[in-house]
Amino acid sequence: MENVFDLIIVGSGAGGLSAALYAGRYRMRVVVFGDHFGGYTAVAGPIGNYPGYVEVDGFDLMMTMKEQAEALGTIIKDEKVVGVTQNDGCFSVTTEDGKEYSAGSIIFAPGTERRQLGLPNEKELTSKGVHYCATCDGPAYSGKIVAMIGGGDSSVKGVNLVAEYAKKTYLITRSKELRAEPINFERMQKLVDEGRVEIVLENQVVEIVGTNKLEKIVLAQPLHGSQDLVLDGVFIEIGSRPRSELARSLGVTLDEKGHILAGTTMETNVPGVFAAGDIVSGTFKQSITAAAQGAVAATAAYQYHKMHGNRCGTRPESPV
Amino acid sequence: MANVVIYSTPTCGYCKMAKTYFNEHNIAYIEKDVAVDEQARDEMIAKTNQMGVPVILINDQVVIGFDRGKLASLLGIA
Repeated sequence: MENVFDLIIVGSGAGGLSAALYAGRYRMRVVVFGDHFGGYTAVAGPIGNYPGYVEVDGFDLMMTMKEQAEALGTIIKDEKVVGVTQNDGCFSVTTEDGKEYSAGSIIFAPGTERRQLGLPNEKELTSKGVHYCATCDGPAYSGKIVAMIGGGDSSVKGVNLVAEYAKKTYLITRSKELRAEPINFERMQKLVDEGRVEIVLENQVVEIVGTNKLEKIVLAQPLHGSQDLVLDGVFIEIGSRPRSELARSLGVTLDEKGHILAGTTMETNVPGVFAAGDIVSGTFKQSITAAAQGAVAATAAYQYHKMHGNRCGTRPESPV
Repeated sequence: MANVVIYSTPTCGYCKMAKTYFNEHNIAYIEKDVAVDEQARDEMIAKTNQMGVPVILINDQVVIGFDRGKLASLLGIA
């Protein structure tokens, strides 16, 4: 019975750790699994829109959430869940190292993973000029020429950070306009006015060129008379895909893009299964919304637990 | 004791995870900030051909990214 819990949480980002905090306060026996500690929040760099902080480093924020959850007895494991099954209301997960854990309810908060362009050479040149984390690798391009691919808020925020270091930053998107928070757009516009950032709309990368390191990208449409753009680094921010394979295997209903369909209490179509964070269909993908959904999901899991008990069998010392 | 060097940037979350891991296991390390230290950046590229941080050297072994399993193995952490 050592590995039997009241609640298993898959994902240790803002949604998962907020759920762990609330479930811990409900005195549920909780284990959290996460192969990317802190999710996107932990690698977001400085965050200026998390209420309660004028500005907070994303990693520090997640470490605080971890500390809060652990103080309540939650067990947090940096392990990847590779399988999940259900047997008459008892959920069991298997981790990458072959261990098995069971619980009477489960919250999926595994987040998403970044999309790639899908071009030849992209994989070979990853971390050799091609990058997916501007906050991580952007500062390494001090004095260099780089490009950000993508027209969303993450791209604009990334440009603002990278341009602090780079000599010149291009923002390239196939869209007709950018979709960014006005405050981030205004910051970038200042950099455009200073000549440090150049916005390239309605264009896209068709080729990534280089051997052992990035040499240039080739654009679909000429820029300043040439389709070739010589760069030191390129950052790809073209959205993400949901990590919903485990939920799907349990019969959880997904939307057409693979996000989990959840109700107002973050419940799914499978009793005892809840969801939180970027994995949820229709979610505004922010740390604050993920944290809020985690709180709601944990509360719903607690109500479910009170109503149904732990179908895996509860350990004698369980306070619920 | 292993000679541990981490090439990092100030905003890199995975670098912070790696440093937290070292601290939790009382592993002493030298940090080189490639955002401001051009010599360190050149050294990192020359030794590893990598521009993605963290790059970690455990003696002469290169670890790319925060690879907990590989770090544990090289540092003898159970």
